Amino acid sequence: MGKAKNIILFGFGSFGKQLYKKLRSRGHNVKVIVGFDDYVEMESDASADIIRINITKNDDILALNLDEKESIFYCVMNKTANNLFLVLTLKSLYPNANVIANSNSKEATRKLKYAGASSVIDLYEATSRRIVNVLTKPAVSMALDEIIYNQNDLKMLEIKLKENTFLEGKYISEVKFRQMGIILIAIIDKELGYELIFTDHKINHKLDAGDILVIVAKESDIRKFQEMLEIKD
Amino acid sequence: MKRLNHKLLSYSYFLQGSKRYNRVKSFLSDLLENDEYPYKKYFDFFMIFIILSSVTLLVMDVKQHIPSWLDNIDLYFITTIFILEYLLRMWIYSDIHKIIIDEHDECKYFDKEVNWFSLFLKIVKNKWAYVTSLSAIIDLIAILPSYRGLRVLRVLVLFRAFKMLRYTKSLTGFLYVLKNKKFELMTLLTLSTFFIFISGIMLYVFEGDNKNPNIHNILDAFYWALITISTVGYGDIAPVTSEGRMVTMLIIITGIGLISFVTSIIVSSFNERLGVLREDRVVQEVGKKKKLTVICGYGLLGRLVSQGLKKNGVEFVVIDKNEEMTTLASQAGYHAVCANSTKGEVFEKLGINERISHVLCLTSDDIENAFIAINVKSLNEKVHVTARCSDDEIAMKMKCAHVDQIIMPEEIAGMMGAVYAGEPVAFEALLSIIEEKEKTQIDEVAITQGSFLDNKMLGDVDFEKLRLILLGVFKYSESFKLGEFVFNPSDEFVLNAGDTLICIGYSNAVSNLKRKM
Repeated sequence: MGKAKNIILFGFGSFGKQLYKKLRSRGHNVKVIVGFDDYVEMESDASADIIRINITKNDDILALNLDEKESIFYCVMNKTANNLFLVLTLKSLYPNANVIANSNSKEATRKLKYAGASSVIDLYEATSRRIVNVLTKPAVSMALDEIIYNQNDLKMLEIKLKENTFLEGKYISEVKFRQMGIILIAIIDKELGYELIFTDHKINHKLDAGDILVIVAKESDIRKFQEMLEIKD
Repeated sequence: MKRLNHKLLSYSYFLQGSKRYNRVKSFLSDLLENDEYPYKKYFDFFMIFIILSSVTLLVMDVKQHIPSWLDNIDLYFITTIFILEYLLRMWIYSDIHKIIIDEHDECKYFDKEVNWFSLFLKIVKNKWAYVTSLSAIIDLIAILPSYRGLRVLRVLVLFRAFKMLRYTKSLTGFLYVLKNKKFELMTLLTLSTFFIFISGIMLYVFEGDNKNPNIHNILDAFYWALITISTVGYGDIAPVTSEGRMVTMLIIITGIGLISFVTSIIVSSFNERLGVLREDRVVQEVGKKKKLTVICGYGLLGRLVSQGLKKNGVEFVVIDKNEEMTTLASQAGYHAVCANSTKGEVFEKLGINERISHVLCLTSDDIENAFIAINVKSLNEKVHVTARCSDDEIAMKMKCAHVDQIIMPEEIAGMMGAVYAGEPVAFEALLSIIEEKEKTQIDEVAITQGSFLDNKMLGDVDFEKLRLILLGVFKYSESFKLGEFVFNPSDEFVLNAGDTLICIGYSNAVSNLKRKM
């Protein structure tokens, strides 16, 4: 779908490995970095490109020549303390970097956010949410499975509007998204700042270049939609 | 003889097959014995009322003569009920016709004639086992006071009060404590008897020879010793000689020791029993629920899931083998039982066949989760089991054990991380919907028979006016529980009862739609 991104993955524990698999299956380029004494099970993931450095040393990290603008950093070390320290290190070296970290509790999430992680994935929070959803909203969790977890042609993605597309200057209600097989869930309207707005609110937004649409659709419909967007007015 | 034999056997088979007979018997056994039967409560109340009124009559009869009609009620009505109850309990205790059939089958198998005497003996032995049980003896004694010939028997009405223990569960807990500490209490009893014996005789020797006008015989001396050693000390009999006072001082000191010893034994026994009592209470409380979810393991994940379930109003019980964890869970206000969930016992207590619908295995150990899952599945295959697992290989094995859902935290979070890499905005949108951090959330609405959406074409429904985004519909089908997911259905799509809509929208908008259903 979206463009392939450069991803730097710090840590290769059980979570790191899963993340690596998922990222690779979506076509991203992943570089794995682990500490010297981190144990890495190699057998099944021999293909992984693993670099061993001393993760606490600034020089070692700088020596990797990481590109902070073009890559996303994932900090998924096994220990929360190591992870926190790593986020801090990365943020001090690359203040503008996009750093994502994993955590296992609300406590850790708070600290990681404070250290500068732009997004934190709480392993247990996400899991418990899913377990509860399966029990209380079975249909919803099945639908979400179809959209996010299962590898089928239903996808959720975001599209940033370029200049002079056919949507330029149109109001949301004028565009027949549903007939195109697309469900528009939310938008970021540049005129209203960077807040995410769900389209169930009865506000009719005007679409401009730079707005971001969050849509759910079948892959074939997405391709058609993107082709339509390519045609300049 | 042969004819009688044949007749008895055919009658036994008739009873075995009779629906009415079995219905009546099972109703009575529910009413008398089954704690979970809802109407047993009323029966128990009725019996307690009757017992209390007969005890009241006994007390009133001491000073003023009670009217004869009341006495007649006591004599005929209450006694009849007690006798009836006694006989019914004996009846439901076992099935005679089953014994006859079994005996007959056995004889047929070995080509023997049925031995009438041994058959009769077997039946009597079977019922005798009931008659000699403690509760049956109490029941029987409680009937006796109805015989007015002996005045002493009147006091046996109080045995009717003992009968009440049968109807109240909490009191039996106390008896259990006494039974549990039998050895310690017996030792103390022997010890105190010994002291009373010795000091009683000593006082009698010192003061019995007319020195103390209050001590007439050895019984008085023993009575004095008991009153003193128990620290009650009425003072109606007091030693007058200095030898007697020496004895008194000695037994007062031993008395204090003995009393505190008894108290501490009973208190500690109660403490030991407290966990079991609490567990019983939990089991009793959840016994009223129709549908129950069991969470095994109260670690990080267990805690979060408990919170989530509580928020959504799902009834659940937490099981953890670690007592600290169950204490934490009870403090958080959940039902918690400290037990080993790899054993069948706790699940049977909680009603695996009646009310448990889901079991979540959320301990941090994959192998233990698999163990619990297999344990539950072997008890009742229909229970929906969800197991947490971090290892692909163990996940495969769990699938073999027919675990309904395997949750891998790393996989779920890994997928989230991967989605974030490609579509950060979509990810944020999704996260805020799923986590219900904002008012916009995703929810499901089932279409009910005859509601305003039943049999309607989708094009005719104005979802915009309902302020909802329709993501898709689960088309109802007989074979699947939820059916097929139809994403973004067209305007010609017809909605029917049983279909489930997946909508995104304000929580108010969703509940609005649900209310309309």
